[in-house]
Order: sequence, then C-alpha cells, then structure tokens
Amino acid sequence: MNRTILRRRTALLTGVAAVAAPSVIRAQGEPIKIATLTPLTGAGGLYGPTMAKAAAAVVEEVNSAGGVLGRKVVLVSEDDQTSPEPAVRAARKLIDVDKVSAIMGTWASAVTTAVAPLCWESKTPLFTVSGADSITLLPHQGYIIRTQPNSQLQVTNLAEFILSLGSKKVFTMITQTPFTQTTIDIMNRVLPKGGATHGSLIYDDKKTTYRTEVDQALRGSPDMIVANGYTPDSVILLKDLYRAGYKGKIVGFAYSLSPKLVDQIGQPEVVEGIYTFAPSPAEGSGAYERVKKASGLAAPDPYTSQVYDHTSMVLMAMAQAKDTTGVAIKDNVRKISQGGGKTVDNAVDGIKAIAAGEKVDYSGASGPCDFDDKGDILSCKFRYEQIKGGKFTLVKIA
Amino acid sequence: MSLIFQALINGLVSGTLLAVPAIGFTAMFAVLRFPNFAVSGMATLGAFAGYLVYGAVGSVVAALVVAFAAAGAVGLFFDKTAHLPLVKQGALPAAIASIASGLVLENLVRLGFGNDPRGYDRPIARDMRLGDLRISPQQLETMGIALVVMLLVFAALGFTRIGKAMRASADNPELAALKGIRPQRVAAMASFVGMGLVGIGGMLLGLDSSIDPLTGTRILLSMFAAAVLGGLGSVPGAVLGAFLIGIAEELSVLVFGSPYRSAVGFFAILIMLSIRPRGLLGERAY
Repeated sequence: MNRTILRRRTALLTGVAAVAAPSVIRAQGEPIKIATLTPLTGAGGLYGPTMAKAAAAVVEEVNSAGGVLGRKVVLVSEDDQTSPEPAVRAARKLIDVDKVSAIMGTWASAVTTAVAPLCWESKTPLFTVSGADSITLLPHQGYIIRTQPNSQLQVTNLAEFILSLGSKKVFTMITQTPFTQTTIDIMNRVLPKGGATHGSLIYDDKKTTYRTEVDQALRGSPDMIVANGYTPDSVILLKDLYRAGYKGKIVGFAYSLSPKLVDQIGQPEVVEGIYTFAPSPAEGSGAYERVKKASGLAAPDPYTSQVYDHTSMVLMAMAQAKDTTGVAIKDNVRKISQGGGKTVDNAVDGIKAIAAGEKVDYSGASGPCDFDDKGDILSCKFRYEQIKGGKFTLVKIA
Repeated sequence: MSLIFQALINGLVSGTLLAVPAIGFTAMFAVLRFPNFAVSGMATLGAFAGYLVYGAVGSVVAALVVAFAAAGAVGLFFDKTAHLPLVKQGALPAAIASIASGLVLENLVRLGFGNDPRGYDRPIARDMRLGDLRISPQQLETMGIALVVMLLVFAALGFTRIGKAMRASADNPELAALKGIRPQRVAAMASFVGMGLVGIGGMLLGLDSSIDPLTGTRILLSMFAAAVLGGLGSVPGAVLGAFLIGIAEELSVLVFGSPYRSAVGFFAILIMLSIRPRGLLGERAY
C-alpha cells in the first residue's frame, strides 16, 4: 500500500516537474531511463543505499552537463530486498513499466542469478557486483557485465602475491565451501609456474582443535600457509599453528583474518606478520575521490565504487552508440571501457570526448573496468595488508 | 610413524577433555533414564559463565567453580520444569524436550553475547617437544584439570553417602527407594552434578580454543558417541568411550582426511548399537 502511494506521488512529482521544467528540456524529447536494483533492505542493506546514491550522483553530474545525446537521464531506484523473489518482481516492474535501458547494482549472487534471465530475454543489460563464478556462465548473450572479481581472479592474484614473497613450499588449509575446489585447482596451476610446490588440506570448520591437521600440513615443512577459513575456525587454526612452532609466513582473506580475529587471539606474536588480502577499489584514483564525495563516506566500499562505474559506463556506452537501447549498451560498453584511447575517469568527460569523436578508455573507482567476452572483469586492484604489532598495515594496493 | 604417535597424543588430550562432559551426560542418564541433549546448550553456558568470571577475577579455579554451579543450577531448573515431568511418558518426549532446551539456551547466550567468537585471555605458548612429538603446556594443564575433576567424581561416587545413593538409585531405583533413599533428592543431585560437569567440560574446551554460542553443539555428537560407546549410564564407560572417540577422531584425519572427522562419532554409534547395544562396559553405573 505504501509503495502504491509512493509511486503515485513519484508519478505526480514527475508530472509536475515536467510541466515546470524549462521548455528547452521538454523539447529535447523523452528522458532516458536507467535503474539501480540494489539491496536497500535485508542482508545487503548496509551497502544498497549508498550504492543507489553513487548512481544518482553520476546521473546528476551528467544531467547538469547537458545529459546524454541531448536528453535528460532519469534514474529509477528499486529495492531487491537481498532476496530473489522481490528482486524478480522489482526487475519486472523496471523492465515492463519503466522500460529502463539498463539495470545496475544487483548485489547478492542469488538475486543476480534470478534476475538475469529477465534481463537477457528483454535485452536489458545487467551490471552486477555479485561474485559467484556461475553467474557469467549463464547463457546471457553478453547482457551481464560484472565488476566484482570472481574467485578465479581473486585466487590467481593471491597465488601471484605468494610467489612475489619468494615462497617455495605453499600449503593451503581451507574449509569446505563452494569455492574450495576452484581455489585448490588454481593454486595447483599457478604456483608451480612460479617454481613453488603446493599442497592442500580441506578441514571441517566446526572442530575445536586442529592439531592433527596442522601436523599434516607441517609434514612437508611449508614456508607459506594459506589460511582460508572463517573467523572462528581461523582463530583455532592460527593458535594451533603457533603452538606447533610454525615460523613461516601466513596469508589469508581479510574478511576472515580481521581485526576481530586479532582481538580474539589476544596475543600479538601469534598473528605477527600475517598477510591479508581483499579486492580493493582504486584508491587514490579521481573516480574514487568522486565516489567519496557522492557517498559521503571516508572510505567507500567496493560495491558503491562499482555502481558508480556501472552508471558511468552505461551512459558513455549510450553516447558512443548514439542510441539508448539495451542492445546498443551491450554492443558498445567494451568500446568505451577498454582497448586504449583517451583515459577518462568520469562520465561527463567521457561523453564530451566521445562527442568530439575521440576513442575513450574508462578507468573507474573500482578499477580499470576491462571485461572479457563472458562479462567478467579482467583485472582489479587488491589490497594487501600485514599485521604488525597487532595492527593492520598496508603493504600495497596492486 | 611419528605422525601416528602424535595423533595418539592429540587424541588422548581431546579424549580427556571430552571425558568430563561425557561423565556428566552418562551419570544423568543413569539416574534420570533419558538422554539429556540440553548438554549442548549447557556446555556453552558453562563456557560463557567461566569466561565472565575468568575475565573479572583471572582465576581458572574460580571460573571452573562458577561454570560448574551455573550449568548445574540451570540444568536442574530445566530438568525440574521441562524434562522430568515428561519422563513419565517415556524417554523420548523428555529427550526431545531437552533438544529444545539446548536450543533455547544457545540462543539466550547468543542474545547476550552475540555470534562473535571470544577467547579466554590466556597466554598461548609454543609446544614442548620430545623428539618429533609435541604437546602444549596449556593442554597439559587442561588435561590435568580434567583428570582432577574426574578423580573427584569417582571419589564422590565411591565414598560419599550421596554418591553411593546415586549409584544405588541407578542400579535399582525401587530397591533404593525401599532402603530409604529419596529418589527426588538423588534425581536433583544427578541433574545438578551432571550438568555441572558438562559446564566444566564446555569451559575446558573454551580454555584451549575459543567460545561462541555453538561451542556446546560442536561437542554434542562426540560426547554422545563416547557415552554410547562406553555404555550409556556407565561412568567408567564414558571415560573409556571418550578416549576411544578422541583417538579415533584424530587418527581418522590421517586416514580419511579432516572433513570426515565428524563421521567418526556417527560411525561409532552405529557400530556399537548394532553389535553391542549395551556398550563396552555395559550399563553398570560404576
């Protein structure tokens, strides 16, 4: 009921705005509609609102610089509730009623998977921040573009980092997750190329001691342990590694080897020197600075940065195609995101350059934004930190 | 070879820790005649009660006493109000009610402390080494505590009036009642002491690793398997079962790999119930 009232109010406001707007804009024809479908509520509710805000900021900038192809851009924001079923309803509304040219910002992999078929059937490009490898394997005919690194990219990057530390004998201790086998396979492939050996052990994350697992891992005297679990089991694992007298290096994902874990272990020497790793937005880039301003956050999360890039790319692709349809966006997004040319970090500059007949290459707040044929990003920045004296210190963003 | 010996040592250590709550579980079964699965929640409760006291006072002994008393008192309360009234309908309704109690407790702890793991602020030391074999000083300490607790339980059962009364009730409730042993009092004692031991077990486990609302749930299966293996209702059986399960779990990591570790408990229960349902030492309480 609330939503109906809101929609009616929005419609009324839009009508009033249209009447009140200067005749120039009305003369320019129908506004271009694009949409965000982000988790404003539910498990992703922490991220969705700022994601939508980042998109709105891009639209506002572009509109105040004259819009796209001389037309005004209107952003429609819907809530996917971090749940596939409401997400599908919202997507139907965006596609059938609002007739948007592109949908951006789906967060949960389950939501993206549910919404994707609607998008490719209606030829509406879907820009997502979901990570599951399976998403870009869907038969999406090019209509899915993903800015979040899949586990392939993440683990490959981690393996290369391990090699850069000069490790020769690497051992992965990993819990059972949908990513476990991919992780082990990639490590087995990448590490030997750099002259390192790799062993692995899958452990049960619900045990209270990992002494025997640690013994097994240390049998081949590794100089690098990849601790790939969740926080509670990692606490036990790291303690047991320390007790066993392990003095080599340790690396793990930042979401589990977190400040909370350091607090929990409570003894700095147990975690001293551990490396952590996480996908990172392109900190220091012009686009990231804009996202800071738009979101009002001191350190915007990767998802907000990614939606900023989604919106910029959608609008630039339209300018490139001189057409605002979903098909045009799909066919032109790679022409403005990669392949050399003038590097731009925002939509306004990009659209200007395109209008001037220049080839542009967008490099955004989340990274270079270059995509393969499946729609996966080719590279992104990763943030490496090291625990020193109980504090996380930046090693590099690369 | 040293890997196998090391696994044996690790198994002995985890077996000792497992033995304390297993004794509590089996002692309650001996007297109250239903498997009280609320032990999962009670072990968690004991671990958190001990954690609070250890954080405030810094004494392991004080923490142990409070873990024992808190789990014992809450265990007694749940038995009186929820489980024992159902035992008259049979062991199954009481057992099911106890699963519910365990869930209630687990979530009460979650409500108060959240889901994040916490650790007793204890020094983590490198292991002591003997050739290729190693054992940690902390493990020796927790093992020592567990052994002392077990000795106290055996002494109490063997030499005190209430201990003798409990054994008598477990062996033959009618005969015991005829002899003037008050069954209500023995039942209350069994609830309190049994759950107290489970609380200590949860805390000992937390001393060595970390605690969260699922701490007790993690040892529930191993604890139950130890009691079944040794013979439900038999205190020495629970100790034997705990050692066997502890060692088998560690060795299984070497043979089948870590993910199958949890299967050991199920497998032990399955084999024991099909071949020798009375358990290794039978049902005799002591």
